[in-house]
Amino acid sequence: MRNARWVVALALVVSMTVGMSGCGAQGTQGDSKTAEPIKLGAVLSLTGTYAALGTAEKQALELESARINKSGGIDGHPIELVIEDDATDEAKAVAAASKLIEQDEVVAILGATGTGQSMAIRGDVDRAQVPQISMAGGTAITQQFDANVFQTPWSNTIVVPFVLDAIKKSGVSQIALITDTGGYGKDGKPIIEASAAELGLKIVANETFNPGDTDMTAQLTKIRASGAKAVLLWTAGKEATTIMKNAQGLGMRDGATAVPFFGGSGQARLEFGEGSGDAAEGFTFGTGKSLVSTNWGPDSEEFKVVSDFAKRYEAAYGQAPDIFAGHAFDAFLIVVNALKAAGPDADGAAIRDAIEATNGLVGFAGTFTYSATDHNGLTTEDLSLYRFAGGMWEPAE
Amino acid sequence: MSSRRARAIVIVISTLTIALLPLVVQDRFLLKIFTFVGLNALVVVGISLLFGYAGQVSLGHAGFVGLGAYTAAFLVARLDLPWLLAMVAAGLVTALGGMVLAVPSLRLKGHYLAMATLGFGELMTLGFKEADFVTGGVNGFSGVPFPSVGALVLDTPQQLYWLVWSVVGVALLLAGNIVASRPGRAMRALHGSELGAQASGVDVVGVKVRAFVLSATFAGLSGALYASIVGFISPSLFTTAASVTFLAMAVIGGSNSLAGPLLSVVLLTLLEYLDALVPGISRTTAEVIQAYQADIYGLAIIAVILFAPSGLAGMWRRTRSTV
Amino acid sequence: MAELLQFVIAGLKSGSIYALVALGFTIVYAATGAINFAQGEFYMLGGMLGVWFVSLGLPVPVAALCAVVSAAAAGALFELAAVRPIAGGDPLRIIIVTIGGSVVLRQLALHLFGPDELTLASFTPGPSIRLFGAAIERQTLWIWALTLVAVVGLVILYRRTAFGKAMRATSLRRDAARLVGIDARAMVTASFALAAGLGALAGLAVTPLTQTAFDVGAGIGVKGFSAAILGGLGNPIAAVGGGLVLGLLESLAAGYLDPIYKDAISLIVLLAVLFLRPQGLLGGSGKEKV
Repeated sequence: MRNARWVVALALVVSMTVGMSGCGAQGTQGDSKTAEPIKLGAVLSLTGTYAALGTAEKQALELESARINKSGGIDGHPIELVIEDDATDEAKAVAAASKLIEQDEVVAILGATGTGQSMAIRGDVDRAQVPQISMAGGTAITQQFDANVFQTPWSNTIVVPFVLDAIKKSGVSQIALITDTGGYGKDGKPIIEASAAELGLKIVANETFNPGDTDMTAQLTKIRASGAKAVLLWTAGKEATTIMKNAQGLGMRDGATAVPFFGGSGQARLEFGEGSGDAAEGFTFGTGKSLVSTNWGPDSEEFKVVSDFAKRYEAAYGQAPDIFAGHAFDAFLIVVNALKAAGPDADGAAIRDAIEATNGLVGFAGTFTYSATDHNGLTTEDLSLYRFAGGMWEPAE
Repeated sequence: MSSRRARAIVIVISTLTIALLPLVVQDRFLLKIFTFVGLNALVVVGISLLFGYAGQVSLGHAGFVGLGAYTAAFLVARLDLPWLLAMVAAGLVTALGGMVLAVPSLRLKGHYLAMATLGFGELMTLGFKEADFVTGGVNGFSGVPFPSVGALVLDTPQQLYWLVWSVVGVALLLAGNIVASRPGRAMRALHGSELGAQASGVDVVGVKVRAFVLSATFAGLSGALYASIVGFISPSLFTTAASVTFLAMAVIGGSNSLAGPLLSVVLLTLLEYLDALVPGISRTTAEVIQAYQADIYGLAIIAVILFAPSGLAGMWRRTRSTV
Repeated sequence: MAELLQFVIAGLKSGSIYALVALGFTIVYAATGAINFAQGEFYMLGGMLGVWFVSLGLPVPVAALCAVVSAAAAGALFELAAVRPIAGGDPLRIIIVTIGGSVVLRQLALHLFGPDELTLASFTPGPSIRLFGAAIERQTLWIWALTLVAVVGLVILYRRTAFGKAMRATSLRRDAARLVGIDARAMVTASFALAAGLGALAGLAVTPLTQTAFDVGAGIGVKGFSAAILGGLGNPIAAVGGGLVLGLLESLAAGYLDPIYKDAISLIVLLAVLFLRPQGLLGGSGKEKV
């Protein structure tokens, strides 16, 4: 039966054509008389390496959009959230962003979860002229400035000077630096070098390691020999634990040869404290005040925002929100705030302008004030120092 | 109806379907997906040539894709060279890279080449991350302009789709020619018995090198096209995991065939975007597919090797002969 | 001087880990003539299973034993299910199957244990040992001791036991081995189990220092293979030497050059040896025809 092939080929062609024209036809429908929804897109890592982060972000976004729609939306227009999974993969993030832009015609994009994915969708965002609010912490996101791209977490540009200042205040003038060659450490390194020079701190050892390295004894040996009085560790990877263990092995964590270790937002991870155990005892790091919400003081507006959100989140999901949920909360808050100013019919460009005009907006991470040159919007006022004790952080002092 | 004629008709129909698709599909995103399918196809055609005909495994082709992408991006966006020139340069650079890798390692047995290409791919990833001044490092390289020839800028999804699939078409013609030529028949012989091929006076190493260089060039061109179509590239797009995905597509497609791998590229790439293609699909289904995608690839290549060694192409051939 | 000593200690620590993984490559290679691309995943499994057994409340030595034995069993199962059906055929197919296997094992670990890194406590806590101004972590002593036991055990197994002799015979001539009544297929299964067990042992011993995660296998696989090829794929003892040399090279490069080059070293070693001297630098048994 040679005709079988024919039938298969024909069936394939027909099904392809029918399927596609069906998909193509689903575009425009419905009238714009009243309460047409405002479409917001989100690119989140719901699967893959950052799945835990993306899931928390998704929960926060859904919680907040349901809340705003219950209270009447934006001038009666409900917000329709279209969430796409990028699987912690840059190619998929690009596809997700272009789906949101081309197929769903969203007016703004929240995301992505990771720095790489946030950078990757920039091309599509720029070509479509819609604003993007990233929930990833990489400095490059706002440092490599793009008029359409904003960011909600505390970036290295403010965390680095804050931590270095704390080191200086502890009476140290010679520091050693150890950074990873992956994303976070590589991002921080030039900022640390510039900021240290500004503060008059001398970097006497400047070491790096690769993601996946299993032994950093060689680097730490050099640091120990350099006479540094404090070590600044800049990484978000699991190698931080190896470094602390190696340092402990070299006698740099206790006794006469102990050296204080400092770090940044990369150490606000439970796995770091858990994995390092007593090797991280006394490790000091700087990151957002909201890591421990009472930092803000019980009467502050910030405390109210953070604890209200935490209460709602806990009621809905049975667990306290982590900082990633908080960064997503901020991204949504900022867009809603801009939509209120620009009106429900505003296009991407108008919303972008309204976001840039954000001034003194109190969110989870602190007080956001964007400008034509600053799309991170936070300051060192929003940061605080923490110290590890018994495998968990607590506010320092 | 003769088998040859049926084959010709299938080819004509699929060519027409692919060529006319943008006239039917209006959704810009769907067109983009079909463009991505074409970009993957370009790489996999090359790997199939290598795997299916020459019996060689490469675990480093994503490195060639990256090499082509960065070469083109740098030349167009930083040095302001014409796009077409950058494409040619990307092809040449990857061809050269393929040659440097192939000439020494093809003296070796199959698994040595696999490891050499794995090492090469990892080394390239390291290079993409560290050579900041050219590549932009881990933060990626953004601002690559759309393809253009003179004053003509190709910036609509339709144009880009046609551009990519025309390149795929040319690549298929080239690959098909090689397969049908004397060296091509020698390659098939290679997969069967290297000694036999050698004994019958075939320049075994020469054939292998040619296949490898051509496949590297296809990969490089795919990367160069990706860079100008998406506008952004970064090292994490060109990892060993991507190489394994390409290899899996070729393996599942089957050996001694170009149609099989082509079909497998289309199916497997579309699988990733199932939620966009099938409007009614639930989010949970889409997420499960996403989370288990690597599992599907891994299990599929094991299953193919164990139960259907010649892949989709072989299954097709078998159904045909039994029906 | 103390600095150099410290670099050497660190190099021998990583080197021992590479050596164990490299041994796994040579064992499977000897039995099948193919490279097991899933070898690194058993290193990952060793650490992950160790953490899991400890979390069940087992004492560390028991958990360690359970982890190594389960990983070895996983190796044997993998061989039975995926490699045996195509054994003796085109080594290309075995390569592809082990590539598929590595993906499946990694994904399995991801689904079972999650994407975050996991921790194991040091086998014996306490301060490091001092030696001429250099420090040796207690866990490093464990790594060395376990490597030594594994290598000596392996030598005894191969040289002194009937089982080992059968394995060696099989690797030399499969058909002849069968003639003298050796079940060559069982030997291949045993070699996968042994290789997986050695990899798991390495992953387990290093986890207290490095933590572990589902995706650590691929990187160590490349390093282990580089070590194996440096020693010459056919020679287990030379593979151990290759591992130690590679560890030392990396540590000295990180110490005296830029640590950036640390990862590049194993890759460059791999490519250079493949291209220039595929029979290995240390071994050089001309058995492998290339």
